[in-house]
Amino acid sequence: MSGHFLDEKIPLGELLDLKSFQEVCRSFVELYKIGLKVFDAAGQKLVDIKVGSGDFCGYLFTNGEGARRCTATVLKVKTDPLEESKIHTVQCFSGARYLVMPLLYDMDVVGRAIFGPFVPEDLEELPPTLTDLDGLDFQHASKLMSKIRRAPDSTVAKVLEHFVKVCDVLVFSAYKVNLTSRMHIASVRESFKELAAKNAKLEESYQQLQELDQLKSNFLATVSHELRTPLTSIIGYAEMLIEGLAGPLGPEQLEYLRTIMDKGESLLGLISSILDLTRIESGKLRINTEPFDLEAMVANAISSVLPQANRRGLKLSAEVSPELPQPVLDQEKITQCVVNLLANAVKFTPEGGTVVVRIGPAPRMPAKPLGRFDAVDAYFRIEVQDSGIGIPAEQLGRIFDSFYQVDGSSTREFGGAGLGLAIVRSYVEAHGGEIDATSSPGEGTTIQMILPRVFTPGIRVEQESRRQAS
Amino acid sequence: MVQINQAQRELALKIVYYGPALSGKTTNLISLHERVASEVRGRLLTVDTKDDRTLFFDMLPVFFRSSNDLKVKIKLYTVPGQVIHAATRRLVLQGVDGVAFIADAQKSATQANNEAWRNLMDDLRANGLDPLEVPIVIQFNKMDLPGAMSDEEIRDAGEKGTEPVFRAIAVRGEGVVETLHGALQLTYRDLDRRYGLGAKFRLSEDEFLGEVFRSIDPRDSEVDAARVRAMVVGSGE
Repeated sequence: MSGHFLDEKIPLGELLDLKSFQEVCRSFVELYKIGLKVFDAAGQKLVDIKVGSGDFCGYLFTNGEGARRCTATVLKVKTDPLEESKIHTVQCFSGARYLVMPLLYDMDVVGRAIFGPFVPEDLEELPPTLTDLDGLDFQHASKLMSKIRRAPDSTVAKVLEHFVKVCDVLVFSAYKVNLTSRMHIASVRESFKELAAKNAKLEESYQQLQELDQLKSNFLATVSHELRTPLTSIIGYAEMLIEGLAGPLGPEQLEYLRTIMDKGESLLGLISSILDLTRIESGKLRINTEPFDLEAMVANAISSVLPQANRRGLKLSAEVSPELPQPVLDQEKITQCVVNLLANAVKFTPEGGTVVVRIGPAPRMPAKPLGRFDAVDAYFRIEVQDSGIGIPAEQLGRIFDSFYQVDGSSTREFGGAGLGLAIVRSYVEAHGGEIDATSSPGEGTTIQMILPRVFTPGIRVEQESRRQAS
Repeated sequence: MVQINQAQRELALKIVYYGPALSGKTTNLISLHERVASEVRGRLLTVDTKDDRTLFFDMLPVFFRSSNDLKVKIKLYTVPGQVIHAATRRLVLQGVDGVAFIADAQKSATQANNEAWRNLMDDLRANGLDPLEVPIVIQFNKMDLPGAMSDEEIRDAGEKGTEPVFRAIAVRGEGVVETLHGALQLTYRDLDRRYGLGAKFRLSEDEFLGEVFRSIDPRDSEVDAARVRAMVVGSGE
């Protein structure tokens, strides 16, 4: 059965910061003058600090049998089975001694700490296990042994127990940090997996939405086209009847027919707007530039809303700065923009109000200027200001969206499909311009278009691709 | 999933304290750390965060060696209750052997309890576990607070399922030992049924529970081993 990643056993050497750990061990050795070794559970040596025993052990090792016995002792120190939390004594053939204690974590032995060699306090002379060796100078050996610390077992045991307690804290802290970071990594991985799955779902929904959007555009284009054909006939025949081509008509009949024609034409206008919008959305919008006269354009636009304005007693006026040169833009589309803005202004301004068209220098550059080296004088401004009902601040941001109505209720006072401003924005943006609105409810609305004086197709595209390349 | 190492004669199991944020999961572990005898438990590993809530998890190891020389290691984990730590909760719950669901007894926390319970079921399933198979006990904590559910309401809540229900005031240590006892008993019985713990390792339920609860702090008059046993008997099967 495979364990959980939180139960993974980590070698002591990886768990501890070895250098710092060795420093701690060194300070113990310096304090107690007894050698110290630490092995991990697999027998890997992590620490080995000798104090005073080097010469003695080195001398014994020069003897063949001495070396063999020494190796056996070291092996015992390293591999003797240990009982949990108990001190284990390993007697060296030389009379010296080692005390060994397991390092535990969660009941598992993760390593062992060894204090020694030290000379037991009660050792009076060299033991026979040493003196039976041939070819050694035992007087010399005794002299070398005197450099090793002599101490009672109980003292060394105390030091060892204390050292193991310190190790216990170190191991616990290290495990804690290790577990935390492993958990952190695993959580991040898990969260990433979740996010990736969510992203994939979102991507899929986005694709579906795009397909739906395309379907919607196609549907609108088809329906608009199919509606326009019979509608043209209705208007045409109504016009012929009005003109008396089918015989004379009474005044009431004429009035009815005019209503049919009027309503037919406004329906046709709506359908044309939908067609325009679908064309814009499908990216088929073409800008045909030519120089044109601003005053004439404004006069033309005003004339198309004049009947409605007159009917409501509105005052329409235009202020065009004379110093502006002729712009080179798509005249038809700019006119359409002004007409749409005027139509909106007229619709939402109560009787006796005013609507002003102002054309002058641009107050600022658009946020995304058309050309890399454009200055503010490369732009101009067309503004339509009314004294109408105004738009609440929270809705200002949405009025340029297709089919959006500030009053979206079924009982709303003002008609329209909510396409006029959407079309204006599309046209302005297609020219590389910008549109914004300011309004105070009850006082009126000002819609401002900032347009380039000369539209050069393709400039912005180049700039975008450069930005990506860098 | 319980880890049984026949060669090393070792049994490792995992109990997870699950529940809504701030229901007292860490408090349960802190309280257990104080009450369970120091010979059978390790240090409480807690990752403290600035806002005093659990960021990742807490872990309290409980271990003993059975008379038959089986090393038994029980790890008690808490999960972070906050919604944003869903991933950590699922990870901690991997391979769980038993769950102590710590509900907040305050009536205002009902919604959070329901949500956490649903998450627990989802997380168990996400880890390939059948929620009906996993031993679960429920603790209603914070019984001392003014908005806490009445005994009757808790009984009603308990009757909606088969899980043993415990009442607790974890900050005072009341009910925490009972809850762990209940969770371990259910878990033992589940493992015994599935792996034959008793027969294979000669580890009886009495010994298993007796070792963990062998020296419950006698100063705590509310809790004693005999009472614990009396409380859990008859529930949970």
